[in-house]
Amino acid sequence: MIAQYIVNGILIGSLYACLAVGFSLIYGVLSIINVMHGSFVVLGAYITIYCTEYFGISPLIAALIGCGIMFVFGFLVQRYLINDLVTAPIFITFTLTFGLDLLLNNAMIQAFTATPRSLTLEYGSITILGVSLSIARLGAMVLALVLTGLLYWLLRHSQMGRAIIAVRMDHHAARLLGIRVERVYAITFGIGTMMAAAAGGAMATVFPITPLLSGVFLGKAFVICVLGGLGSVPGALVGGIALGLLESFGAIVFGSQWSTTVGFALMILVLVVRPSGLVGRKGFE
Amino acid sequence: MFGQFFKFALQTFAGGLLFLSSTVLTQAANTIRIGAPLSLTGSLADEGSKEQQGLDMCVDAVNAKGGVKVGTEMRKLEAIKYDYQSETSRAVQIVQRLLTVDKVDFLFAPYGSGDTKATAVLAERYNIPMIATSAASEAVYDQKGKNLFGILFPNNAMVQTEVEFYKARVPQAKKVAVFALNSLFPKAIAAALRDTAAKGGFQVVFDGLYSQGTMDFSNVLTQIKAANPDWLYATGYIQELMVIRRQMANLGMKIPIVTMTAGAAYPEFAQNLGPLANNVTTNAWWHPSATYKDSYVFGDAQQYTKTFRDKYKKEPTYLEASATAGCEVLAQSVEHAGSVDADAVRKQLSTRQFDTFYGPIKFGPSGQNAINSPMILQIQDGKYMVLDPQAVKTGELKVGVGG
Repeated sequence: MIAQYIVNGILIGSLYACLAVGFSLIYGVLSIINVMHGSFVVLGAYITIYCTEYFGISPLIAALIGCGIMFVFGFLVQRYLINDLVTAPIFITFTLTFGLDLLLNNAMIQAFTATPRSLTLEYGSITILGVSLSIARLGAMVLALVLTGLLYWLLRHSQMGRAIIAVRMDHHAARLLGIRVERVYAITFGIGTMMAAAAGGAMATVFPITPLLSGVFLGKAFVICVLGGLGSVPGALVGGIALGLLESFGAIVFGSQWSTTVGFALMILVLVVRPSGLVGRKGFE
Repeated sequence: MFGQFFKFALQTFAGGLLFLSSTVLTQAANTIRIGAPLSLTGSLADEGSKEQQGLDMCVDAVNAKGGVKVGTEMRKLEAIKYDYQSETSRAVQIVQRLLTVDKVDFLFAPYGSGDTKATAVLAERYNIPMIATSAASEAVYDQKGKNLFGILFPNNAMVQTEVEFYKARVPQAKKVAVFALNSLFPKAIAAALRDTAAKGGFQVVFDGLYSQGTMDFSNVLTQIKAANPDWLYATGYIQELMVIRRQMANLGMKIPIVTMTAGAAYPEFAQNLGPLANNVTTNAWWHPSATYKDSYVFGDAQQYTKTFRDKYKKEPTYLEASATAGCEVLAQSVEHAGSVDADAVRKQLSTRQFDTFYGPIKFGPSGQNAINSPMILQIQDGKYMVLDPQAVKTGELKVGVGG
């Protein structure tokens, strides 16, 4: 039983990590609290669902198509809507993304209706040592972890990744060194949006999706980033898996109705005791 | 959280703008005005839009035949609708506004038992009849008011029928697990089922609650699986019930009877789950296969279903039907009273029996429909079959969910 609980927690936790990593990256580099993040996840999920249903392709490919589309979308949103305000106080950009989210979310309710939609995939499940593992969930977990790992690797080893880190550390200095900061901002926002779409694609294989979930996703992203530490990829990973396990055991110890409360309660505790998060450091990576 | 607060503040502002624009547009002369707070956005947006479609069905049908005969003149129906964003506090504000600014003649209640109860006090204070089309919990009608009228018959009648039905069909089933959403109606009907089942000889092996927005049920389901129930009774709205059914499959759960209340009665449940929905049973206050006659509009239930299908390209559920019936009951009462005076109409509502496509409606002393006609449905190969009542039965119970 305990093994099953732990596995359940890690399966959902990996999805949470993927959900939060884009949010965390955008905050870390652009210092923007992107309220649209939840809606980006939902939009990515819808692209996956529609591509899978209408073109009959595998959800994995559909999710990757979703990632591509959303990268471009995120890039354009940053370049033409957010960029002018990116150096403004955080409250201004917060208001901007909040307003854009209202527009985007209501447009999605109009377009997709509030009725939940889901993929009817039945890959079944396997049992290892008495622990049942759903293939769809396992696949979603692998997709989420691979993309998160890839992002981490790219940030450390590619030229663009180093430029992003440089802008995150000091955008004035980065500009002096010849980095095109605006472009880095737009690409980072695009990557964050792409990661949201990846999380959405993974979610679509295991959850029914409705535009109304965007608030739930955004709430989770907040909690995870506070738990793990805002602005870092490992932080999102640790935070996500920690939240998955916490909710999992919270449901057993306190009853299922308290499982979401446990996450928020711990968030408050972490904010008081260790404001930089479980693996976060003061300052930059 | 700060973000939540901010979101709320802006939503309130946006809602305010919506108010201003809609009142200017909705002042038409000499209509019978029904105020309808609807949850068109937010967590109950799906249910809210169903309710709106049901209401529109009635308004359009009645107006198409010339309107409601009030004394010697014909007056059209007009629905004054506002979106309350699935938030109870906004529902209360909107009902207040409908009563004081729009000065509507009659009211519809917002969606569900909780919000209905919260707003019914206003109907009572302003002495305006309010029709609740989606509140089935008895606790909504215990405020000793005289203005709240509920179309759905009580939860208890529903669970009574269910317990007797399964007990008779599956006598070897002894253990029941109850899992409910922590909200007024899902919790109330689950509690009623638990008590009725215990009295009926079932052993309650699991009794738990979950909160809205829960994304992962695997651990609770692991617990339920360990309890090895013969009957799982899960309540909630469509989103969570779909996740529960999927995760049951992930964990390889096999249970003879799985009943999912409320959400599973909507066709989207079966469409989205595909084969996983098979053999899940649910219940309904009404179903398109009903055979009730209606002399006021529509003719009968079949005709209603056909009209609905032509208009919205989908099947109506009890939720749309009950909203249509609620508005129809109001129209008939106005006609019999010969005026829109609240006291005269209330007298008709509380004394008369209404024969509608939805079934006979007669409001009892508490204001809730006292005529019970519970239906038990089962999804078989993606289709909803009626198992009970026997008079309209379209299929036999198939035992075994998940294998």
